[in-house]
Order: sequence, then structure tokens, then C-alpha cells
Amino acid sequence: MSEQTLSGSPGTLALYPRAVAPLIPGLSRLPFVPGRGKTVPTRELVLEDVSVDPEHLARYARVCGFRLAATLPATYPHMLAFGLHMKLMTRGDFPFAPVGLVHIENTITQRQALRTTDRLEIRVSATQPEPHPKGRTFAFLTEARVDGEVLWEERSTMLRRGGGGGDVRRPPSRPKQPDLPARAQWTLPGGLGRRYGSVSGDRNPIHLTGLTARLFGFDSAIAHGMWTKARCLAALEGRYPTAFRAEVAFRQPIKLPGRVTFASEERPSGLRFAVRDTKRGTPHLDGTLTRLERAHT
Amino acid sequence: MSDLYTQLVNNPIGKLVASNVGLPQPVKLDRWSPYASVVDGQALFGAAPGGRLLTAIAKVLAMVEVSTSTSLRTDLREACAAADLDAAVFNPEAPGEQRFKALVYDASGIKSSEQLAELRAFFGPSIRRVQPSGRVLVVGTPPENAGSPKEAAAQRALEGFVRSLGKELRYGATAQLVYVAPGAEDDITSTLRFLLAPKSAYVSGQVLRVTPAPDTPENPGALDWDLPLAGKVALVTGASRGIGAAIATVLARDGAHVVGLDVPALGDDLRDLMDELDGSAFELDITDVDAGEQLVTHLTAAHGGVDVVVHNAGITRDKTLGRMSADQWDLVIGINLTAEERLNDALLEAGTLRKGGRIVCVSSMNGIAGAAGQTNYATSKAGVIGMVEAMAPVVAKQGHTINAVAPGFIETAMTAAMPIGPREAGRRMNSVSQGGLPVDVAEAIAFFAKPVSGGLNGNVLRVCGQSLLGA
Amino acid sequence: MTQKLRRAAIVGGNRIPFARSNSTYAEASNQDMLAAALEGLVSRYGLEGERLGEVVAGAVLKHSRDRDLTRETVLGSRLSPETPAYDVQQACGTGLEAAILVANKVALGQIDVGIAGGVDTTSDAPISVNDDLRRILIDLNRQKTNAGRLRTLAGVRPGQLVPDFPRNAEPRTGLSMGEHQAITAARWGITRAAQDELTAASHTNLAAAYDRGFMNDLMQPYLGQERDQNLRPDSTVEKLAKLKPVFGGPDGTMTAGNSTPLSDGASTVLIASEEWAKEKGLPVLAYLSHAETAAVDYVGGDEGLLMAPAYAVPRMLARAGLTLEELDLYELHEAFAAQVLTTLAAWEDPVFAREKLGLDAAVGTVDRTKLNVNGGSLAAGHPFAATGGRIVASLAKELHARGGGKGLISVCAAGGQGVVAILESEGV
Repeated sequence: MSEQTLSGSPGTLALYPRAVAPLIPGLSRLPFVPGRGKTVPTRELVLEDVSVDPEHLARYARVCGFRLAATLPATYPHMLAFGLHMKLMTRGDFPFAPVGLVHIENTITQRQALRTTDRLEIRVSATQPEPHPKGRTFAFLTEARVDGEVLWEERSTMLRRGGGGGDVRRPPSRPKQPDLPARAQWTLPGGLGRRYGSVSGDRNPIHLTGLTARLFGFDSAIAHGMWTKARCLAALEGRYPTAFRAEVAFRQPIKLPGRVTFASEERPSGLRFAVRDTKRGTPHLDGTLTRLERAHT
Repeated sequence: MSDLYTQLVNNPIGKLVASNVGLPQPVKLDRWSPYASVVDGQALFGAAPGGRLLTAIAKVLAMVEVSTSTSLRTDLREACAAADLDAAVFNPEAPGEQRFKALVYDASGIKSSEQLAELRAFFGPSIRRVQPSGRVLVVGTPPENAGSPKEAAAQRALEGFVRSLGKELRYGATAQLVYVAPGAEDDITSTLRFLLAPKSAYVSGQVLRVTPAPDTPENPGALDWDLPLAGKVALVTGASRGIGAAIATVLARDGAHVVGLDVPALGDDLRDLMDELDGSAFELDITDVDAGEQLVTHLTAAHGGVDVVVHNAGITRDKTLGRMSADQWDLVIGINLTAEERLNDALLEAGTLRKGGRIVCVSSMNGIAGAAGQTNYATSKAGVIGMVEAMAPVVAKQGHTINAVAPGFIETAMTAAMPIGPREAGRRMNSVSQGGLPVDVAEAIAFFAKPVSGGLNGNVLRVCGQSLLGA
Repeated sequence: MTQKLRRAAIVGGNRIPFARSNSTYAEASNQDMLAAALEGLVSRYGLEGERLGEVVAGAVLKHSRDRDLTRETVLGSRLSPETPAYDVQQACGTGLEAAILVANKVALGQIDVGIAGGVDTTSDAPISVNDDLRRILIDLNRQKTNAGRLRTLAGVRPGQLVPDFPRNAEPRTGLSMGEHQAITAARWGITRAAQDELTAASHTNLAAAYDRGFMNDLMQPYLGQERDQNLRPDSTVEKLAKLKPVFGGPDGTMTAGNSTPLSDGASTVLIASEEWAKEKGLPVLAYLSHAETAAVDYVGGDEGLLMAPAYAVPRMLARAGLTLEELDLYELHEAFAAQVLTTLAAWEDPVFAREKLGLDAAVGTVDRTKLNVNGGSLAAGHPFAATGGRIVASLAKELHARGGGKGLISVCAAGGQGVVAILESEGV
């Protein structure tokens, strides 16, 4: 696996033209346009000595409902890695074009809370494509290290719809979440996608406006999956230890504006949580938070 | 009695002119009024380390209810606490905006010339904070009571210091030195009150000595300081006009029953004034051979005695000595000095002067300084000083006191008649650049006349605005 | 009802570094900072999931949304959500008063353990609409029809749109705290040099405390801030002497150096019964043994705004049967260097003792080598309500480390109030 250390976080805005390029007929044959490779290159991108910008952290915390604490929200390193995800995908040899990828699962494992003052090393790589009943999937593997020690890991599974794999046996699907007691109702404003997009750098058109979303086949703008997960963890703030694993599966997208219900319950297997449409009960997110032994205690 | 110049330079244009051409700028001095407090402003209280008068001074300051500041030195603060004086703080190193109507300094701790540096340390940062008509009081130990020659020298040095301060101070502010003999610490109340108050408006650069009084009041704060002479009979000679009338008026204000005495020729004026003051008129030529006897008889019969005797009657018959007749000489000496001696003798012998009696004589600045054309007058007035000094220990034995007031240039009908040259010279050649008023002399006399002034005996107090003459 | 009082033990504390206004913590709210300080305390003392007797904290500058600030903070914390909480507010005395409240309940046996804290932000200050506009908006809300709403809105004038910024001024005098203290300082003849000297000592002492690791278990970094931002370890009297006065006019003695800056920060203190601490295997650093709160009439009377501690301490000492000199350490909150110096001067003054306190002798003299030994608010900064907790935790630790002793805490507060307390330690 080749390792490339970047001098700074790549600006995601500059990468978007390349991300969108494969959508334009003919362009996909050009060498620098992503989506041409058949396999995921074994490349690891590394960003060293990353420090947290408190102002950005504050904006992130505010949009997601976290408090601005001495430790980072568990979903925050995803922000720091997002540029690397984009960078990895916008290479010409990457088999999937970023636009149109659907984030279907996300698992964060935090061995120890990262502090706002930590100097982080962020490492990103991607797994080989796997067949999926609805297409093909791959996953971004992300690590955050402090002083060489991996304190935080993330697996983000992305789905590319269509393109074969129909014959693949359905993977053992996650056991259906039992009904959880409702804890809160959230009213999500129409501009939420734009607001989170400007904080996260994820300006995927499907999140921004109804118009841009319709270009990609959605009725309206949809909420970012990682926002929804972050919002759930913020709602559970204080109810989980600093060492834990938070797994979520993203179900139906949340249309914006919208009103959703947050549900959670402590179970022997872990803290279960879910987001449902308030009126129809449509599942948007199912998650489990499990306690880990501390990394070094 | 108008001082046109003072009025002129106190109007805006006059003030501008005077300041631009460097003329003296006399201010209107603060004077007593029924509503004024003793100190119309704040006092700063300091002391050389080791002073023995701190608590005594603090008690007076507390009594007159002047808002007082001190530095945060333990001895000062403890003295204030002991005197129940809620003193604020003044730190010359962080001076702020504070201005003072009075600076009061206990110098009794100064035992050597080296320690005189304490004076500069205290007054250096504070002297320019003294307000118009402000007061600087230095209190020390009489050199004759000092424990060592060095201490005596240092204490005597205070006189030069205070007199110079008096000359440096501006806008009607004055400086005095009070020597307090050992054992007289609790007898300083009336002296400090007088010197702090507007009553001493025209007194500056003076030295007063306080000795142990035979009758120190237990609690001077409980006395009626508005009517200190209530129930007392006060004889004032030459009471019909001028300074004498002012003396009678002030003593009456202080509660005394005034017996005004003057020659029959001035009987009308005298009776009018005494009617006004609810006093009694007594016509007498004090140069009569039996004047003393007549006075004793009258005072005994009409008033049962007398408590205060003010020898004010006096005349001038100015001529240079070569041109002076024997009559002119004899008349002045006879009225101004011999008559006083005889009256005193008679009153003392007959016991007409009741216990705790106060004799106050009017001397004159010219009796100290001398004046051309006034050999007779100056001789008589210097003699008055000699009489006071000599009689002091004598009368003390009977519980009385005798003191003298020596007026400088006082605005009277007499001075108004002077030619402009000598008149203006007299008015301006003093530290407050103006003449005094008869009331200023009267206030000094009333101060000596108080029952609580028993610590003052044999003093000669000049009321001259610190005149350059004879100083 | 007779019951034996228990001793209220200070187990430890945690705070975040204090930051200067509109700086590192510009984006942090009161709840953010209080939560951060609380989280650190929870971690340090293993309180995850614990149901405590109560958490008491407060803020001086509070948004209307921060009603029940402390309870909201607890709800997001890793303490048991069944831990009750309430807010207190007593200006700069908030933090210490909160500790006294918790300690009193522990002493009475009403609770076994509690947390006291305080937080303030001057960066995220509650700006409110001015009173005119507020009334218009209330009226707008009452209107039932669009026409009515329009009528109401038509009455708005531009001047009414100017927001009200919270001002550091006493409502009844219109003077800022600094202006008040400048008057008091002048009244007590406090010099610029003395103020600068105290300020330099504050910085030197706090810097030394960091250098020897004293702060390590009293603090957790927050938003990139590892130390108190206001700390200037190289501060000297000479450098401070160059600053221009900010209070008391051009001849004033109070500068930005010898006055505390507006600050942001939060602190917490864990207070428990001895039994609770023993059960948890936690140390007892000190006991909060005495407390007193005083107030002075700075409006109609002639006392200085920040002079209340000068009254509170002698009263407390009398009740405790102690003299000022019997205390081993003194923590006088340095709102302004001049405030500390006037307080010390008042205690040394027989006149103040007699006239203001009715005592026969001066209260006493504080040995300067025992004063604010680990720095004070001049160096650390002063997020109003957070200062009490900072002092309680560090004094308890210092007394404990010295093998025991008694320490005084004195905090002056707006409104002419003063909160004081004594900590006693038996040492290691």
C-alpha cells in the first residue's frame, strides 16, 4: 500500500468539479476523471499534525447540537478526514465517482476521547469493492492517531447503486431494530443541508436545495447522514462512556424540511437508538452504541 | 472701613489686571458666621513619630467634627481610633484630588535637628493642597520644657519653619505654632479650635504657649461652644467705638453680660451699643485716681463681680519725640498702661475678679516693632506686654490668666484717616495682603476670655496677618 | 431536631483554563464551558453515572435561554441524569457561595456529596433587545391580525433597534466597578506602585504554580487553551508601570494590568462528607469550616463598592474564634490589585476597626508571603462566577500539600457584597 502524506487538508470545494465531472457525457474517459478504475487503489492518505480550529469546532457543535467541550465530538474527526475521502475518490484511478454514492453505514470506534488540544494524525484508505444487492459497496477506513496511537477509527460504507451484483446473496441484514421509546422530536429546517454543508465541506448537491437534489432523483434536499448520526450522539451526550463504538445504518433519507422523532433505550447489548419520521414512522437511522474497555487502562 | 483695593481685585477685571501686573491679590478671608462649621472642609492630620499629642489633637478634630485624613501609620491611626475620630486616609504617594482646609501636625516627636526632615516629608506634598483661608497648625513642645538641648533647638526651629510657611501660603491661608507644655495636653482644645476656625482669620505666623490649666474641663466636647461665656460678666474698656465695640459685640455673642466702659464724653454711643447687646454701660475716666475703687464698687454692686476684663481703652498722641510734649507723653502712658495696672491691682485686690478670671489686654504691633512718631504709644504698648508677662505667674496663683492681643493694621475710622501711603503700606505689607477687621481682634480676645482657655497665660498674640513689621 | 454537624470535605476541583474575552472561547457558551469543567471533574473522580446530592452553579451574565443552566449542564453530563441541580447568582461571589451552599447541605447531612461551580463568558454575553423594542415585540405577539401587527411594526423607530449590551456598571450608581474601586483606592491612598507590585507577584506565583505542575490536577485544557491566557510569566513592575490608567482619570492608578480583564471560563469543586470520600477512596484535601457574607451600603452610605469582604472576614473570624494572623494562607480575590490592597489596609487600620467594625484593635496584618501563593485573578483572569471554584480547589490543594493549616478565602462582588470562607486541612 502506498502512503501519501499531504501537507494540508485538501480544499473540498476545488475537488467538486472533478467529483461532478463523470456525470458529464464523454468526460469520464479522460485520465484524471475518477470512476475509471476497476479496483480501489491501495493507497493511504495521511494528514499529520492536524490541530482543531476552535471556531470550526464551535460551528460544527452548534449545527449538530453538541456542547463545545474539552473533548471532540466522536463524529468530528470525520470532518477532518472528509477532505482526504474526497481526495482519494477524485483520483482518476478510483473506481467510483463521488457524486451519487450513498452513505449506508457508519461505524465509529473511539478508544479514548480526543481532546481539542490534541495534535492528530489522520489516515484514510479505502476497501476493495464488494457486491451488494443494490449495487456495489466499498468503505473508507479512517484513523485518528495521537502520538502514534490509534484512538479513533471509522468505517464509512458507501453504496454505488446498480452496476451488477444482483446475483449476490443478500448479506445478513442487521436485525431489525425493535421499537424504541421516543425521547425527542426534532424539527429540521430547510436550510439544514446548506448549513451543515458549509461546516462539513460536504456540498453534495443532494443536500443543498430541492432543485439540485432533483437533478439526482430526490424529491427534495435530504439531510446529511453524518449530521443525523452526530445529532443522535449529541442527544445521548453524557450517557455513554468515552470509549465506545457507535454503529449506525442509514435507512430512508430525511427530507428537508422535516420533523423526525429520536428514540433510544439502554439494552443489554448496548444503547440502541433510532431516528424515524414523526408522522409515518419511516426509518431513517438505526444505531447501536456499545461500551468498550478503555484502550490503555 | 472699606478696602477699595481688595474689592477691586476681587472683581473679574480687577483680578485679571492685578495678576498681570503682579499686584498683591488679597482674597476675601473666611470669617465666623452662625452657620459655619469650625473647619469648612477637610483636615489632614500628621505627626512626627513619637509625638505625645496625637490623641489630644485627634480628640479635638473629632470634637469639631472635621472630616480628617491621616496617613496609614499605626501611631496616627491608633490615636484616631482612641479619639473615636473616623479618619480617612491620605497617602502623599497616591495623592488624588484631596484638598485641605487645615493641616494639623504634631511635631512634638522631633527631638533633634535631623528629625526636622519630618516637617518637609509631611508638608512638602500637602502644603499646596491647602485651600483658601486654610489653616496650618504645628504643635510642639516649648523649648524651655525640652528634655535636651538638641530637642530644645529642634523645637525652637519650628518657629522659623511656621513663620516661613505663613509667608508662603496664599489666598488667606495661615500658619501657627502651638507649644504645648508637658501636662497641658488636654488643655489645647480652645486653642486648636480658635486657630482652626475662621475666627482666627487675621492671625498668622504666631506662636502660642499652652500650659497646664488649673481647671481642665472633664469633657470639653460637652461644653456649649456656641455660648462659652454664658453667665459670665465681661468688662470692656473703651467699648463705645471701633475695636472696643467689636470686642463687646463678640463677647455678647458668646453669651457674656458685657459691661461697657468708656469716658462720659462717649456715653451716648456707649449706651446705644450696650442697649443693643443687652449689656450695661458704665461711664468712667480710667485715669481718675479712684477709678479702680469706683470700678470695684460698681461691678460688685451691679454684677457681683467680673469674670472677664478687657483692657481695650487706648489713645495715640503721635509726635516725634523731639516735638512731643510731656502731656502727650503722660496721657498716652497713663491711659494705655498705668490705668490698666491700677485697675488690675484694684480688681485683684478686692477679689472682684472672680475665680478663673480672664484679663485680656490690647497691645499693638507697634509696641513690638516700634513706629516713628509713636515713642509714647509704642512705649505704652510694649509696657502692656511686659505687664502681661510679669503678671501671668502672679494671677495664675489666683486661678486667673492674663494675655495680650497685639493688633496690626486694622480697618477702623482711625486707619481710614491715615494718608494713603502709610495706609496702603500697612494694609499690604503682611501675608494676607490686607488689613484686618475689628472683629478679628475681638475674636482673639474672646478666645483668651473663654473659661476653657485656662491653659493660655502670658501669651501675646498678634492679630496682624503676619505683618512684616516687628516680625 | 438535633443532629450532629458533619465536616464538609473538599475532595478536589477541576476547571478549564481562563481565556480573555473574545478570544479562545469566543464560540463557547456558558453551558459549553461549565460542561467542560464538569466533565473533567467527573473523569478525574470517577463520577460517571453517579447520582450526586446536587450540583450548584451559576453565571453572572446569563442568557434567557440559560434558565436552569446547571440542570441542563448536568443532563448532558456523564453524571446520573437523576442528579438535581440549581442555579445561584451572587455576582462575583457566585462560585464561593455555591460551594458554601453545597458544604452546608453536606454538613447538615442533607446530602453526602455535591458539586459547586461557576461559569461566565463575556464573549458570548447575553445581548438583549432594548426595552422599547422588547415591549413592541410583546405587543406584536399579542396582536391577532396582520393589520394589527403592521400597525405595531409601523411604530418602530430606528433607535429602538439598537441592542442592549450588558454593562459592567452598577445599576444604582451608573459607575463601573473599576470607577468605584478607583474612588475607594484614592480614599485609601493606594499607590500605583503597590498595585503593580501585587500584580507582578500574581503573575509570578501563577507561573510558578504551572511550572511545578501544581495546576495539573486542577485543570483540563479546553479549545486549545492549556494555561490561563491572561498569564504573563514575564510580567514585571517595570513593564506594568508603563501602562496608562484606565480608571480614575488621567491621574488614576488603576491600569489594564492591575485590573482583571474580562474573561471566559468555568470551574467546579467536589464537596462531600468524609464518609463518602472514604468510601470512594478519594482524598480529603480540606474542610470548608466557616463562611460569611457581608454587604455594604455603597449607594446611600459612604463605603466603597468592593469593601464588603473587609467586614465579612472580621465577623467570620470572631465567630470562628480566630485571629487574622492565625491563618496560614490567604486567598484574596484580585478583582483589582487596589481592591486587595484596600482590604489589607482596612484590616490593618485601627480607625476602620473602631469606626466601622466596632472593634478595639485593628483586625490584623496579612503576611504577604502567604497571600495568593499560587497567583490570583490578576494573572489567571476572572470569569466572574468561576473564580470562587478556582480559589477553593487550589487553596484546598495547597493547604493539603503543606501538611495542613487554615486558609482564608475572600471574594468581593458587585452590589457591595463580599463572600468569605475558611478552609481547614489536616494535611496528607
